[in-house]
Amino acid sequence: MSISRRQFLGWLGAAGTAGAGAAVGKKAHAAATKRFEGYPDSDGVLFDSTRCIGCRKCEEGCQKVNELPEPERPFDDLTVLENKRRTRAGVYTVVNKYDTEENGKRPVFRKIQCNHCLEPACASACFVAAFSKTPSGAVTYDESVCVGCRYCMIACPFEIPTYEYDQPLTPKVEKCTMCYPRITQGLLPGCVEICPVEALSFGKRKDLLREARDRIQKHPKRYVDHIYGEKEMGGTNWLYLSGVEFEKMGMREDLGTTPAPDLTHGALSIVPIVVGLWPVLLTGVYAINKRKEKINREEKERAVAEALEKVNAEAQAKLSQVMEKAENDKKTAIDTAVKKALEEAAKKESDDKETS
Amino acid sequence: MKISEKGKSIIRWTSCLGLLAVVVIYGMRAEGVTGPWTEPENKRPDMITIDAMKVFGDLERPGVIFLHDRHTEALSSKGQDCSACHLKETDTRGQERLSIKYKRLKDTNRNEVMSIYHNNCIQCHTEVASEGEKSGPLVCGECHQEKPDIVSSGQPMGMDKSLHFRHVKAHENKCEQCHHEYDEKSKTLIYAKGREGTCRYCHMEETQENRISMRNASHISCVDCHLKTKAKELPSGPVNCQGCHDLSAQEKIEVVKDIPRMERGQPDIVFVKREQPDPYTDPELKKEISENLMDQVPFSHLAHENANDTCRVCHHAGMESCVTCHSLKGSKEGNFVRLETSMHQIDSQMSCLGCHETRKEDKNCSGCHEFMPSGLKTKDPSTCISCHMKPLAEIPDSVQPLVLAENVTNNEPVENGSVHMSDPLAKMLLESRVPITATYDEEDIPEKVIIKKLSKKYEPTELPHRKIVNTLMKNIQDSKITQYFHQDPGTLCQGCHHNSPVSKKPPSCESCHGAAFEGGYPYKPGLMAAYHNQCMGCHDRMGIEKPATNDCTGCHKEKKK
Repeated sequence: MSISRRQFLGWLGAAGTAGAGAAVGKKAHAAATKRFEGYPDSDGVLFDSTRCIGCRKCEEGCQKVNELPEPERPFDDLTVLENKRRTRAGVYTVVNKYDTEENGKRPVFRKIQCNHCLEPACASACFVAAFSKTPSGAVTYDESVCVGCRYCMIACPFEIPTYEYDQPLTPKVEKCTMCYPRITQGLLPGCVEICPVEALSFGKRKDLLREARDRIQKHPKRYVDHIYGEKEMGGTNWLYLSGVEFEKMGMREDLGTTPAPDLTHGALSIVPIVVGLWPVLLTGVYAINKRKEKINREEKERAVAEALEKVNAEAQAKLSQVMEKAENDKKTAIDTAVKKALEEAAKKESDDKETS
Repeated sequence: MKISEKGKSIIRWTSCLGLLAVVVIYGMRAEGVTGPWTEPENKRPDMITIDAMKVFGDLERPGVIFLHDRHTEALSSKGQDCSACHLKETDTRGQERLSIKYKRLKDTNRNEVMSIYHNNCIQCHTEVASEGEKSGPLVCGECHQEKPDIVSSGQPMGMDKSLHFRHVKAHENKCEQCHHEYDEKSKTLIYAKGREGTCRYCHMEETQENRISMRNASHISCVDCHLKTKAKELPSGPVNCQGCHDLSAQEKIEVVKDIPRMERGQPDIVFVKREQPDPYTDPELKKEISENLMDQVPFSHLAHENANDTCRVCHHAGMESCVTCHSLKGSKEGNFVRLETSMHQIDSQMSCLGCHETRKEDKNCSGCHEFMPSGLKTKDPSTCISCHMKPLAEIPDSVQPLVLAENVTNNEPVENGSVHMSDPLAKMLLESRVPITATYDEEDIPEKVIIKKLSKKYEPTELPHRKIVNTLMKNIQDSKITQYFHQDPGTLCQGCHHNSPVSKKPPSCESCHGAAFEGGYPYKPGLMAAYHNQCMGCHDRMGIEKPATNDCTGCHKEKKK
């Protein structure tokens, strides 16, 4: 097979364009200003507190399908509602009762569990990627990679992940999985399936949002005009409707609409740069120090050499001076001696003349 | 220029650290989250904020939190009265009264008014403290609080028909003692018979030109009159804050049941006016438009007077008819709210539909209506004819529509004792309605309904169907609005048998409700939730406490194992 030069260049160009296109496309996606609004067809649960009757059946359903430990007090004991509870190891969900002045002073109930954030704080805080946001909407946890740092527990704005403190050897983090194994098989989450009043609705998140809006529109007086979880912390797959202010059901309304990873990604995104920068910086520092030492050494050597030279020269000068002086002395002494001898000889001659 | 070795070294270091700093600072964008603000627990009806200095421009320090009743009590325990703080002034009618301002009659200038407050308040607090008694603050920040630890629980106060009647009786029908209007010519307040209205029509939220605010007007007039009546040792109204503005005190105000109708020239039964002011000058256009408009609404003003506590619930800005401001096209006077909107706006208490909507919140109604979409959202045009009744063409010629006397339409005063006018056609239309006072016959209503479709853990449930129907009927039997708006004997059944046409034999619940979230579709409740929500929701709304919503065995018998 023969390839013409023209054909070869054509291939090269095509490959180059495709490569560049792929690279540019990827980059553009990563740096896009458009917000990630969740996986398009992800599932979710809508909790309607105006329907909840506080029967704790959801807690029971959760315990059964997830094979969690039996509770200390049975699920039909409703006196536990008198205290505010939270999720803990072995308890993925709890229902709390809130007394309010609105709503004819009737208590309202709120189910607490993982909200399955569109962009989970736990996953962004986990440096071994034990948490993952699945396209189904559920945030799942992989205990096999977890190192037990519990950063996820600190990161979660809803205080959901819990830790098995009573398991000294194999502790793991626990939280609601939105019954991920069940929903992938077409089953309902345990809590949704058991709820006798459909205070919990399961469906696609976008359908649930539409349903929630429809309920608010049809019954403007029954609901607060807000869907909690639509925007909170960038949005969650668990959504809430309420007849009283969400704050009165113990839900934080100060969280803002920024996804948790956005709050840290600025700082975290420079980690690779810093990691890359440190060797350069340290090498630079080392090189500077090295160079400084070298210069110092050279300067010192030069100085020593100069000093030596100077001293030598001085010594030489002194020596030659002394030598010269000695020579002169010697000469003077010889001259003096010669002179003296000559004088003595002359004197002796004159004396001899006189005497003769 | 030659740089020494040392200089070069410094430059190298600076650039390295600089680069590092830039990178680190760029990365530090995480923001802190602070806790939510909580309202202070301490609430008092007499808490007012003294911000009188506002008339001189922006306040330098926060307004002063002042507990008025506490000061009144403290002063009266020392044998002092209102005049300890409030000076006497003469009103426009030459009568003496107390000024509502503190220790002055006029807001002269910033320094002077500030000194009046500072000198007098601090002086009194100091004196009381020197006597060894509990006294008020002496330090700036304790009066001028940025974040007060106390909030006002004061409720707005106003006259209703009963309270008005008690005042009418006490003042022996002398309306002029309270009602007045401003006469441009004589520049005085005069009384105009037949033009009385709610104080709030002129006295607005804030003082405007020579019209003082509602707040000032009511405190000057009401409190002053109460004080004078009290001085004569006659029974009087409250003279402290709590007496009018505390919720529990308001609930204790005596209510008179049988109140004679107020005489203000208002009609009995008329059509809702829609022609005035006339926006269509072209006679042909006017004809075309009026012929194509929605059918007229006959309206019983009398029935609505009886059903409401005040005139201002509907007549919110004036005693004129609605169309005066809310014209067909909308106008500036009516804030561009068209007549149609003004009658149908569901979230407004002043509109027909908005007010009727709130009637559904009644315990006897909300059991059913709780589940129904509110207002026009039903999108059911058949409900329109409840108000927009038959066209004129179908009315016999013998009945001629009445043209209301000019004096009423132009809002001229009507002589006292005038006959309340009615439009015979409107009257005929309203009277032609058949009030529904009963549902189907006993034998057509199943006595018991057994729900067994879902029974797993529990025995089939027995629903006392006829008993429920009879109770619902009994609860609403005396309500006129229900009788006229439940247009069919089967309307009542629609409380539960909803979303299907009215029928003696409505389809079963399973016709529509199946398994929950079929195909992940969240819009329609499953059968079990439909039952539970309907029963529990209705019980909850109607205040039926037993069986409790979370007591399963209250309705279901457990299956024997």
